Amino acid sequence: MANKRKTFLFIWIITAVVCLFLFLKYASPKIFQVLMGKGHPMPTPSTLMMWYMIMGVLAGLVYATTSNQKFVDFLSFLLPDQGPRIKFFLQKIIFVGFPVLVGWFVYTWSIPGAASPVELRIQHPTLPQDFEKLENPFRQADADTQRRCIEEGKILFQTYCRPCHGSKADGNGPFANSFRLRPINFQDPGTIATVVDNYLFWRIKEGGPGLPSESTPWDSGMPSWKDDLKDDDIWKIIMGEYDTAGVMPRQREKLE
Amino acid sequence: MIKALKKGLIGFGLIGVWGSAFLVYEDAHAQASHLFRTYKHEVPQKLPETPEAVSEGKKVYEKRCWYCHGIEGRGDGPAAITMFPKPRNFTRNEYKVRSTPFGSVPTDEDLFRIITSGIEGTAMPFWSTISEAERWQVLYYVKTFNEQFKKEATPKVIPISVVAPTPESVKRGEELFREMKCFECHGDDARGNGPLTVALQTEWNMPYRARDLTKGWNFKGGNRAEDIYRTVSTGFNETPMGSYLEKLSDEDRWHLAHFVKSVAKDMASDVVVKVKLHEGDQLPSEPLDENWSKASPVEIPLAGQIIASPRHWTPSIDAIMVSALYNNDEIAFLVEWDDSTNKQEEIFRDAVSLQFPTKIPESLKKPYFAMGDSSGAVNLWNWKAHWQEGFGQIMEAPEAEPGMVIEMNAKGFKNVTTQPPESQNVTGRGIYKNGRWKVVVKRTLKTEDVKGDIQFEIGKLIPVAFAVWDGSNSDVAGQKSISTWYYVMLEKPVPRTVFAYVLVAIVMGASVEMWFIARLRRFPPKLEEQ
Repeated sequence: MANKRKTFLFIWIITAVVCLFLFLKYASPKIFQVLMGKGHPMPTPSTLMMWYMIMGVLAGLVYATTSNQKFVDFLSFLLPDQGPRIKFFLQKIIFVGFPVLVGWFVYTWSIPGAASPVELRIQHPTLPQDFEKLENPFRQADADTQRRCIEEGKILFQTYCRPCHGSKADGNGPFANSFRLRPINFQDPGTIATVVDNYLFWRIKEGGPGLPSESTPWDSGMPSWKDDLKDDDIWKIIMGEYDTAGVMPRQREKLE
Repeated sequence: MIKALKKGLIGFGLIGVWGSAFLVYEDAHAQASHLFRTYKHEVPQKLPETPEAVSEGKKVYEKRCWYCHGIEGRGDGPAAITMFPKPRNFTRNEYKVRSTPFGSVPTDEDLFRIITSGIEGTAMPFWSTISEAERWQVLYYVKTFNEQFKKEATPKVIPISVVAPTPESVKRGEELFREMKCFECHGDDARGNGPLTVALQTEWNMPYRARDLTKGWNFKGGNRAEDIYRTVSTGFNETPMGSYLEKLSDEDRWHLAHFVKSVAKDMASDVVVKVKLHEGDQLPSEPLDENWSKASPVEIPLAGQIIASPRHWTPSIDAIMVSALYNNDEIAFLVEWDDSTNKQEEIFRDAVSLQFPTKIPESLKKPYFAMGDSSGAVNLWNWKAHWQEGFGQIMEAPEAEPGMVIEMNAKGFKNVTTQPPESQNVTGRGIYKNGRWKVVVKRTLKTEDVKGDIQFEIGKLIPVAFAVWDGSNSDVAGQKSISTWYYVMLEKPVPRTVFAYVLVAIVMGASVEMWFIARLRRFPPKLEEQ
């Protein structure tokens, strides 16, 4: 006959699935907190949790059916025989536990809950045509003029952009927490480093209200600066902004 | 081998999916309380203070610091105009977060900690992002602005042990808070609204604001009991916050620190304000009604209105707390915020505004969060302190007859209309007590003005945004603290049918189980080979 450990295969698989659940629920938020250097735990999203649990159960079943011997052991656990007391006890728990678990699932699915809204948006919409042809007048200037423009731009950036985007252009200004769509972190290589000067010019001039609807303009706290800043100042801010963030604008591809 | 490789690839794929899901998740659930700067205590090995280090520090300073602190360290950099509190003037000994006695200069380690940590509630960022060497160098340069650093080469440090809090200690601390007259600046409920603060602020126009001790996230130099003990012991140079090193025994300063720690709260923020069904006859219409304790409040961080000119760079209200209850007919909101005065002036007055879209959005699209736009109108409920008795000169609320709230519609800043008298159906009642405004606004769930008024529906996510004006901070019109869109959700009560479903599910689960086991018993699994 099968040895003792194998006759408990059913229980081992259940234990493994429970362990997976506990890991996802309690251990993984802590692990990701450390890995991603956050000051708070990173809870596993509920849909992901569901998929991992489904996969976990399937994996358990796949394992149980890898050989006929295992499958027989797996199912035999539910049969009455002269096993140890503990087996008798566990059988009872499973017998009661299964319907209760089903009931609990139905309960959590059918009570009305306040789910958080899904707010998907495109972060980098296409640059409108009107802005495509523009040229930063200071990029081609001599080194001295450029240096002066960068410095002037940095002063403007620190005055008007800093409250949200932060002194370091890292999106951590004093107002940043108050905008649910957080101010952009310009140091992030996925933001201003991937676009050309014109793109920033468009964003600064038209602000949130100038975004297309797939980029949720109604949630964006980016002001439109067209009534308050001269075009030259905006170009300078852009130069100062890249310098503060320590990144370079994307270079236009030259056609051979 | 290939199998293992495959497994590895799948594993990596899953981790990738998981990681990206996290990013999305984090975006939607940004919890404000996690995002505040915290005071970092660790200090690494000191760099020698050499002339070379100072000149390297000058380079760092002139690359990163001077925009606010000024090229000569006078706290008058060009960017200082959009700041309150103002940047530190390094030519004076204004240093606040120190481990040294009142009037002394801070130690190098103190300066290192504050440069590394930044200061929450101010523009000072955390510079943990630059190298440790650069931080030491720049602080050596900053020290050259003030001669006092040379005279006091090795300032005396007040030692800090760790003393665990006890309920008795907190209680004794509360007594000391009264005995030592802390409340004269910090206020009876420690909301930074004491009579001295108010006098300094309104009559003398001084930039001193006693800390609102209930806002734990805003403490300068950390909010642990040890940090509070340090502040009580050392005081803040060049401010009314003096040192209690000699006035109080070591033990008493710990009692005080434990008391202050006990009133300091975290910001409990969320994206959705859940509105509970109220079981009683009437929804509470008074701010102090005890039924409000049944609601689940959400605290929302506020920023200055920086969307349109004239912009408000220096708001004084940084958070608003929102609770709400509903019954079959009505919905009531309680909004609360800390304000050091309730003084109303001719132009500058305290007020609060709730903003809803005129219609519950069917898709992602909402009106623009700052007073709507041409394609999406908003419904505004404005409560103003001066329309209510007891807060200065009462003005007649234009066209709003019974309540203290005026209902408006807006399609952008420049397109605001007040609803006609027959459509004014929001009532309100506010009180000001111990440094906190509490205002109740109430309306029926449905109204006849379906075009201009939001119609509340149970179980739907209804966008809401807030604005607060602080008269004593010269707030008026567009000069206000604002939030972006949040949501209210009228919670569906749990229907009784749910329990029937659960019962059916349990019975079905049990039947399936019994059928399965019965089958298993009748045809026990056997190994075919044997």
